[in-house]
Amino acid sequence: MAMMGGVELHADDAAKPAASAEAPLTKIPVGPPVKYGIIGLGAWGREVLKALALLPNAPVVAICDNYPSSLRRAGNNDAPKAERFDDYQKLLASKDVQAVVIATPTPDHAAMTLAALQAGKHVYCEAPLANSIEDARAIASAARAAIKLVFQPGLQERSHPQRHFLLPFIRAGALGEIVMARAQSHRNNSWVSSSSDPDHEKALNWRLHQQTSTGLMGEIGIHQIDAVTWFFKERPIAVTGFGSLIHWKDGRDVADTVQGVFEYPGGIRLVYDATLCNSFDKDYEMYYGTQSAVMVRDAKAWLFYEAGAELGGWEVYARKDDFYEETGIALTANATKQTAIGTSATAGNKTPFTPVYYALKAFTANVGQLAGTVKDYIDNFGDDDPKALAESLKSLKPYEPAATWRDGLDATVVAIKANESVVKQQKVTLDKELFDL
Amino acid sequence: MPAGAQTRYNSQPQGTSVKVDGTSTAHDWEMQGVLIGGYIEFGPAVKWDASQPVIGGVTDGKVPAKVYSHIAVRSIHAKVEHGADIMDGLMQKALRAEEFSQIEYNLTEMTFKGPHTAGTPFALDTTGNLAIGGVTNKVSFPVTLEVLEGDKIKISATVPLKMTAFHVDPPAPNIGLGLMRCGDDIKILIDWTLKAKK
Repeated sequence: MAMMGGVELHADDAAKPAASAEAPLTKIPVGPPVKYGIIGLGAWGREVLKALALLPNAPVVAICDNYPSSLRRAGNNDAPKAERFDDYQKLLASKDVQAVVIATPTPDHAAMTLAALQAGKHVYCEAPLANSIEDARAIASAARAAIKLVFQPGLQERSHPQRHFLLPFIRAGALGEIVMARAQSHRNNSWVSSSSDPDHEKALNWRLHQQTSTGLMGEIGIHQIDAVTWFFKERPIAVTGFGSLIHWKDGRDVADTVQGVFEYPGGIRLVYDATLCNSFDKDYEMYYGTQSAVMVRDAKAWLFYEAGAELGGWEVYARKDDFYEETGIALTANATKQTAIGTSATAGNKTPFTPVYYALKAFTANVGQLAGTVKDYIDNFGDDDPKALAESLKSLKPYEPAATWRDGLDATVVAIKANESVVKQQKVTLDKELFDL
Repeated sequence: MPAGAQTRYNSQPQGTSVKVDGTSTAHDWEMQGVLIGGYIEFGPAVKWDASQPVIGGVTDGKVPAKVYSHIAVRSIHAKVEHGADIMDGLMQKALRAEEFSQIEYNLTEMTFKGPHTAGTPFALDTTGNLAIGGVTNKVSFPVTLEVLEGDKIKISATVPLKMTAFHVDPPAPNIGLGLMRCGDDIKILIDWTLKAKK
C-alpha cells in the first residue's frame, strides 16, 4: 500500500467519543417491525431472505413459490418460522403479511405487484419492473396511486451508503467537468439453472429467451446503468446496443455478450458491456472528468487525480491503493464496516451487508414510518378524504433513501429499450414520451 | 346548532403543525409533525368575532372551554438530511413511546388577556395538564386564537419545557461524528387549526 506520507483515517476512529467513560451512551433503536412475505424463492429470493435475516425488525412470516422443492428448501433453511404458500394470491390474503418482496421472473412482476398493492401490501419489486413498457407503466401507475403504501423498485444501489457518500462528492464537481462513464459486468457463468423436473427447468431459465427476458442489459445491466443515470441526474436520450451469442449456444436466443453506448444530454456517454463468457475484472463503474476519475467497485470507490489537478487537502489522510501505475485515493463511507471487510484494494465485497440488505433496510424503515403516519392520520381524521391524506403525507420525508416508482419506471424503460437495441442491432432513441405516465 | 349547545371545534389536518426546537452540545436540532388530534369546546355564549375588542359572552375574562389534544409521538420527525429514523427512534425511546404513544393535553383554565385589536388574533392565557411519557405536569402558557374563514380557528402557542420535568433523560447518542448530548430545555411551537362542528 502506498501511503504518500499520510496516515490512515477511518470514520470509526473519528466516531469514538472523547469522554465516553462518563457518557450515558444511548442504544440506537430500530424502527417498528414489518412482517414480510416473500414471493419467489429462487436463488435471488434466498438472497433476499438472507438480507432480511440481518435486520432486527423484518420478520418473514410467509414465503411463496409454486415449485414445492424451492418452497421446502427456503422454508427449511432460511425461513423456518414462515407460513408456506404455493400460490401468491393466498399469501396476499394473509392479514399477517404487511409487506411483500417480489423476487419472481420479470414477466410475473406486474400481475403480482398490482395484486399486492390491491391487497394493501407494501411492495418491494425486483428490477427491472417488467419486460414490457406497458407492464412497467401499469406498476408505476398503481404505485403512484397507492399513497398509503410504500412501493420500492429493486434498484438497490440507490440505498447504498457508499453511493450516498459519493453522490454529493461527484455532484459538487470533484471530477471537474464530467466527460464520460464506463461500466462493466463480467462473469463466466452460463446463466443456466438446472432442475430434475424439465418443466421447472424451463421455467427457471426464463432469462435465456427473448420472449421473457430483457437480456443482459435488463436483467444485469439495469443496476449499473441506473446508477450512472442517477449520478448524472439525466436520463439517456439514445442507446446503441450490440449483442452476440458467442459461447453459450445451448438453445437460448439472448446474447451472452453485449455492449451499449448510452447517450446523455451534453454529449456525455456511458459505455457499458456485459458478458457471461469472461469474468476478468468483474463489475465496476468508472466516471471520468477533466480533474479526476472515480472507480466504483462493490462497496468501495477510489479517486484518481489527473496530473496538475487541484487537491482538496484531505487526500493526505486518506488511504491509498495502487492500481498498476495509478494511485487511487479511497473514498470510503461507513469505515466501521469497511474495516471489517478488509481495507485492501483487492479485498472483495465479503460483507453480509450487500446492496440488497441496504435496500431492504431502507424499505423496512420507510414502511414503518408511512404505516404509522397513515394510522395516526386515520385515527385522528378518518379515512374518507384521500386528497387531504395525500396532502398531509406530502410533508413526510422517507426515513432512508430508496428508489421510487419513478426511478423504477425510468430504469425499466431504459433497460427494455437497451435490450431492444441489442436485439435489433441498431440505435434506439429514448423519447421523453416513453417515460410518461 | 340548538340554542345553548356547546360549540365544538374539531382538529383539522390542514394548517396544523407541531415543531420542537432543541439544543445539544453539537448543534441545535428540530423536529416536526403535522398531526394534532383532538377538539375544543367553548361554552354556549362564547362568540369569536375578530372585529370585536372582546370575546362575545365572556365578561369576567374566564373563557369557558374544554380542550383535549393529543399528538402521536411517532408522528414527530427529526428534520435532518440523514439519519432521521435514528433521531426519531431515540426520541421515541426517550419518551417511552411504546407504553405512552400519545402526548396528551387537557385544559383546566383559559383566560382572555384582552383587550383585543380588531383583525388580530385573540390573546389568551392557559393552564392545563400535559402528559408526556406517562408523567403529567401542570403547565401554563399563552396562546393566540385566530379566527379564520370557513368556521375555522387557529390556536398558536410556544411552550417552553424541560425534558427532565417529565423524567425524560436528554438523549446522548453516540452517533455520527461522536457523542452528542441534548440540552434539557426545549420549545414546542404549535399551530393548531380546528373547524366548528356543524
